[in-house]
Amino acid sequence: MVRKIAFNLFAWSIVLVVAFPLFWMLVTSVKPQFELFRRPPTVLPETWTFEHYWKLLSETNFLGYFWNSVILSTTTTIVVVAIATLGSYSLVRFRYRGRESLAFLVLFTYLLPSVVLILPLYLMLVQLGLSNTITSLVIAYTTFALPYALWLLRSFMAGIPEDLESAALVDGASRLGAFWDVILPQLLPGIISTALFTFILSWNEYLYALVLVNSDEARPLTTGVMNMLISSFNIEWSLLMAASVMMSVPLIVVFAFLQSYLTRGFGAGGVKG
Amino acid sequence: MPKQVGPPDGQPDPERHIMAMQKQTLLERRYSMLGLLLIAPTVLVFCAVIVYPLISAIYLSLFKIFTPTLEGTWVGLDNYRELLTKGEFWTSLRTNLIWTVGTLSLQIIFGVGMALVLHQNIWFRSLARSLILFPYFISTVVAVLVWKWLFNDLYGILNHFMMSAGLIEFPIDYLGTMPNAMISVILVGAWKYFPFVVIAVLARLQSIPDQLYEAARIDGAGPIARFFDVTLPQLREVLVVIILLRAIWDFKEFDLIFLLTGGGPVTSTQTLPLVVYKEAFSLNQMGMAAAYAVIMMLIMLVFMLLYMRRTRTEGS
Amino acid sequence: MADVVLSNVNKKFGTFSAVENLNLDIQQGEFISLLGPSGCGKTTTLRMLAGLEFPTSGEIRIGDRVVNDVAPGDRDIAMVFQSYALYPHMSVGQNIAYPLKKRRVPKAERGEMVAKTAEMLQLTPLLNRKPKELSGGQQQRVALGRALVRDPKVFLFDEPLSNLDAKLRGYMRAELIELHQRLGRTMVYVTHDQLEAMTMSDRIAVMEGGKLQQFAPPQEVYRAPANRFVASFIGTPGMNIVDGELREENGRWLFEAEGLSVDAGHLGPDARPGPAAMGIRPEGLDIGAGPITGTVQLVEQTGHENITVVRLAGDLRMTGRTAPDQIWKTGAPVQFSIDATQAHFFAEGPTGKRLNREDPAVEAQAANHATLKEAIS
Repeated sequence: MVRKIAFNLFAWSIVLVVAFPLFWMLVTSVKPQFELFRRPPTVLPETWTFEHYWKLLSETNFLGYFWNSVILSTTTTIVVVAIATLGSYSLVRFRYRGRESLAFLVLFTYLLPSVVLILPLYLMLVQLGLSNTITSLVIAYTTFALPYALWLLRSFMAGIPEDLESAALVDGASRLGAFWDVILPQLLPGIISTALFTFILSWNEYLYALVLVNSDEARPLTTGVMNMLISSFNIEWSLLMAASVMMSVPLIVVFAFLQSYLTRGFGAGGVKG
Repeated sequence: MPKQVGPPDGQPDPERHIMAMQKQTLLERRYSMLGLLLIAPTVLVFCAVIVYPLISAIYLSLFKIFTPTLEGTWVGLDNYRELLTKGEFWTSLRTNLIWTVGTLSLQIIFGVGMALVLHQNIWFRSLARSLILFPYFISTVVAVLVWKWLFNDLYGILNHFMMSAGLIEFPIDYLGTMPNAMISVILVGAWKYFPFVVIAVLARLQSIPDQLYEAARIDGAGPIARFFDVTLPQLREVLVVIILLRAIWDFKEFDLIFLLTGGGPVTSTQTLPLVVYKEAFSLNQMGMAAAYAVIMMLIMLVFMLLYMRRTRTEGS
Repeated sequence: MADVVLSNVNKKFGTFSAVENLNLDIQQGEFISLLGPSGCGKTTTLRMLAGLEFPTSGEIRIGDRVVNDVAPGDRDIAMVFQSYALYPHMSVGQNIAYPLKKRRVPKAERGEMVAKTAEMLQLTPLLNRKPKELSGGQQQRVALGRALVRDPKVFLFDEPLSNLDAKLRGYMRAELIELHQRLGRTMVYVTHDQLEAMTMSDRIAVMEGGKLQQFAPPQEVYRAPANRFVASFIGTPGMNIVDGELREENGRWLFEAEGLSVDAGHLGPDARPGPAAMGIRPEGLDIGAGPITGTVQLVEQTGHENITVVRLAGDLRMTGRTAPDQIWKTGAPVQFSIDATQAHFFAEGPTGKRLNREDPAVEAQAANHATLKEAIS
């Protein structure tokens, strides 16, 4: 019994150490500015305030960035998941020449560093006149999101028994009919997982946004918030922490309601391969 | 019962029919066509945004290009020659390896340890798991902002903790001096990415059959012997895959280092991806940047091929 | 009238030949089993009939149509899968209705047909359940219902009973026999279980290594196996097979193995002197008296009879059936004889052909067997 309690305390103290930075982010964001510089620091704020959140929303372009990020990530997710769903169905359930090499290429690009692609992509998008647009970012994000989504969905697709599709064919469905009636409903959890991962990946992306977008019109949250840090004369940590919290809101929502999909995606894509 | 004759073009003439049967049936060919149609969007996008840029990256590396005007002159392999004789490439490669090996080993050690802890029946296990998992999913921008605040030399909580614990007398500059900057970057990297290891190992741990442990217990193995004789051998395979994958990802990490130190102080934490960025957009040497990127990809190719071989043998 | 015909069908996966030059002629209303060990090509054959695999060459006919180019859904077949392949997101009712829906049967009619099928299979109370809420036996019946509901020309079964427990399997076997008699439809049934094949089929197609070994009624497969493979595959306990040599002496053939010599009498023109094999079913052994001496190795009591394993010189083991009261101690010496009229002789090799016997005594046995065959059918 004593050993059990000791072990639990040990385990939880590690968990809390790991989670401390995030806790501190939350606490800092609701402390009034003067309390930040108190020595010794207060662990819980003496006075709670939401002034930083208010300031963030009313005096900075945070909402603009947020909106850009929402559009950017949603568009990327929809485009990528749609293409990858069809593609993975083809890769797993059809036979034609070049299928194996294609699967190989998908895996290769899944591991490819983005700094290799970013220079030619930058040139290409400038030439197309797309620089400083959200569209350019959607195109750029496809380079990492599509191989990733394909790889995940491929493994989800392979987990659906082939007999189900065969049964539907014998029962009178066409290939696409069987896909719609039988495969898609079975694939749905996999599609949700993949969509969540793609969304988070796009939401958090920094490098492409840094290189390809140089105007507040199209700037997403990651580069937008970093800009607030660089451009301000004296750093308002509370404001930045509030921004960080707000930026993580979609993630917190996913964690609260859809966490099982995240762990499922882990098994399918990252490790099992 | 409604009856339909399968293919719309009905019965072909006998000769063609026999020929078709020697090779592929009409149905099989129609299926292959459908398969190609479904993969077509993927192939198109791949060619446009991955294959074409990849090839032009190699092509670019043979030019001397001034970024703002994008005007270039052909220099052949000069970029590579210059790069390999320059000290910056080799020091950056060294920095890159130190960062990769350092953060990767911490990720593995903490990751496996944490997974073993979370595998036990601790209180509020799922809450603990969520808290552990969270750093992996937050944006690197958020992680960097938070850590910069923790590291703040005057008001950072970290210096306060260290000083009140009596570990240090004066506030430490975590990011502005060496070797502190490298250690800090490695630690933040470990903090951000070790949850990946935790989840992967945890999933594997849960699939180890209980009979193995029971058999070991019957054979008289204590907890430590059980770990080394049962758990570790079962984890070996998944660990190899995790290490390869994380090595690839850590090696190409840009955001975290760029945002935390920008490669500094001076160039002490400047890894290869940062050099690529610097050459292209600060020094305006697009061609040289491409050469760096290509060389970096060649180095990574070893790990990528290893990983790909691994997944392929597992798959078949 | 032939209902399902496979002519010269080949199936290659890369360089591996899954089915080789297969010819099968299935009559309308016949119940046919494709029997063989795993990897023998039986499932591939069934899937080619269904249109789920494509023959590399050859022709498949169902009814009066060549179906090589016909999609599975248009072949007028139904199939029951080993895994049942029930659609997990659909209720039992929706599962059974699916083939009707795909054939654009009007909704009202559909409901009626589903209700009728469910009634027949005692699934009515389960119609709103999801497949995962059903027991294995119930799932099996739903899979059957989905096949039955549209009254197809040919039924295909891919080891449908192999996931059930022994008792339920026996019950379902009887159900399927009854169903076949009632519907009178052509049925093709893939199994590795010879008991299923023997009890249910009009004819059995025994396959091995992608090749058809024998296609005949169960009794014929049992009594006159076409070759050594069929002989050893069919029957429990299996046929005793002894490797030895054939020798011709004054127009009569003699089979000799270590410590054993059997008079083969007159053999057909295929017989050659040299290496060969003899096969004798356990019932062809008379244990207790005879010229051959061995030691008892094992007596298995099954209740209504004993299975006795005798060891001979040269580590040769032979299995015989004995009466339940005939029990020997392990290691005890025992005399036995081989009924030469019941012995089969095979040419050399694992699928060596059975050699025809041209003896009056053996022919009498064969005639006996012919009347038996009539009595069964």
